[in-house]
Amino acid sequence: MSHTNHRTGTYESLQKDFAVIMMPARGINEVDTGLRLQQFLQIGYRHHPVNAGPARTGDAFMTAPEKLIAHERKSKIAQIVFDDRKNLEGFIRDLVAADLGFSIIVSGLFDEVEDVCQRVGVKRHTTLCSLGVWGRVDRLPGSEVMDIATMCGHGMIAFNLVKDVIERLKRRSLSLDEAVKTLTRPCACGVFNPARARDLLSRLAAEA
Amino acid sequence: MRIDESQCIGCLQCVPYCPVGAIKEENSVVRVDEEECVECGCCRRMSDCGAIFQPELAWPRVLRAQFSDPLTVHPSTGGGGRGTEETKTNEVTGRYPPGAIGIAVEMGRPGIGTRLADVEKVAQAILPLGVGFEKDNPTYHLFEDPAAGRLRPEVRNERVLSAILEFRTTVAQAPEVLKVLKRAAGEVDTVFSVNIAAVLEPDGSQPAALVARAAGLEIRPNGKNNLGLGKRQPCPLGRER
Repeated sequence: MSHTNHRTGTYESLQKDFAVIMMPARGINEVDTGLRLQQFLQIGYRHHPVNAGPARTGDAFMTAPEKLIAHERKSKIAQIVFDDRKNLEGFIRDLVAADLGFSIIVSGLFDEVEDVCQRVGVKRHTTLCSLGVWGRVDRLPGSEVMDIATMCGHGMIAFNLVKDVIERLKRRSLSLDEAVKTLTRPCACGVFNPARARDLLSRLAAEA
Repeated sequence: MRIDESQCIGCLQCVPYCPVGAIKEENSVVRVDEEECVECGCCRRMSDCGAIFQPELAWPRVLRAQFSDPLTVHPSTGGGGRGTEETKTNEVTGRYPPGAIGIAVEMGRPGIGTRLADVEKVAQAILPLGVGFEKDNPTYHLFEDPAAGRLRPEVRNERVLSAILEFRTTVAQAPEVLKVLKRAAGEVDTVFSVNIAAVLEPDGSQPAALVARAAGLEIRPNGKNNLGLGKRQPCPLGRER
């Protein structure tokens, strides 16, 4: 549940983070699933996404769009990530026109998503909100690690990996490009936002 | 996961990729601490050396992979991931009708992992309030007695990256459920992420936010929005509006 929920960060940083998912309701409207998911990604690629992926194929950041779209034929869910609200708006507008008939979910700042919906004439149906993390929060790392690691809701981006990358970046033993690539790879679904990670990492490197 | 010592070149590149820090070097030998390992497969996918492998997993250890590796299908549900479609398809399924509140407690997230015994503790804390767990969620199938929140004894010590307790309640009852959860948070050795879901009011307001406030909590500014575009009978492809 909710693998794109619970992404942490400042308001300013989250303004560059929108994950869009499309999926059918199992056993209800699974008609031409692969073709509809392919069309979702094809439309998405017109609007400059920063990541995309059919679940299970992985390596979305490094895989060519046509290969991802071909893979989608076998999937049950597709996801695509934007770092710009205008691109998100254009995508949602085109999705409404395409009328693919499957559920569309946008993870992002509620007020920003609501504004986009109003502009394209869509009324949101249901929201899933985060009440944050409870329990042994003393075991969690600081926000510089959390803001990056929580972009993979399946927990595939280890806190230790983020710490290691930040350290190597600060020591200049890793370039910014390599750092972003290293952190993007473990997220098999393609919902990690490498553009936002680049932004966060470059700030940390500048502080060093 | 295990490391084939004959193949391992000791580069240690796999070590930081482990989400639960289970790969360790001892006396110049790299080993996986199998007690801590959640069988998520991340180290194997990220390593080029070919030294990391996953032996065939027997019950109940196989639960570790099912609840930790996003590429593994749950036999109980036939789906991947760790939960259900929850709000994602709510406009089609009606899983959460207007007036209902959906709550999901994802034990072990983010990034800490959990023993299933801690899942049982939280389940038993909230069950006296009369909630019933979602049967389509893979966690449900771990209970020997779902009504009592009692897990099968052999699974309690298994460790997974996360497992979700998902249930439905009412606007009136939800604040009390959240308060009980808050108390239970002090009794577990892990973290959990709390989700709250509801159909929006006709004016666009979020009942989930009102419920949270009634419990003295605030929702985070970001979350998931179902745009209501799904249909029970989709139009044939190629027919754009």
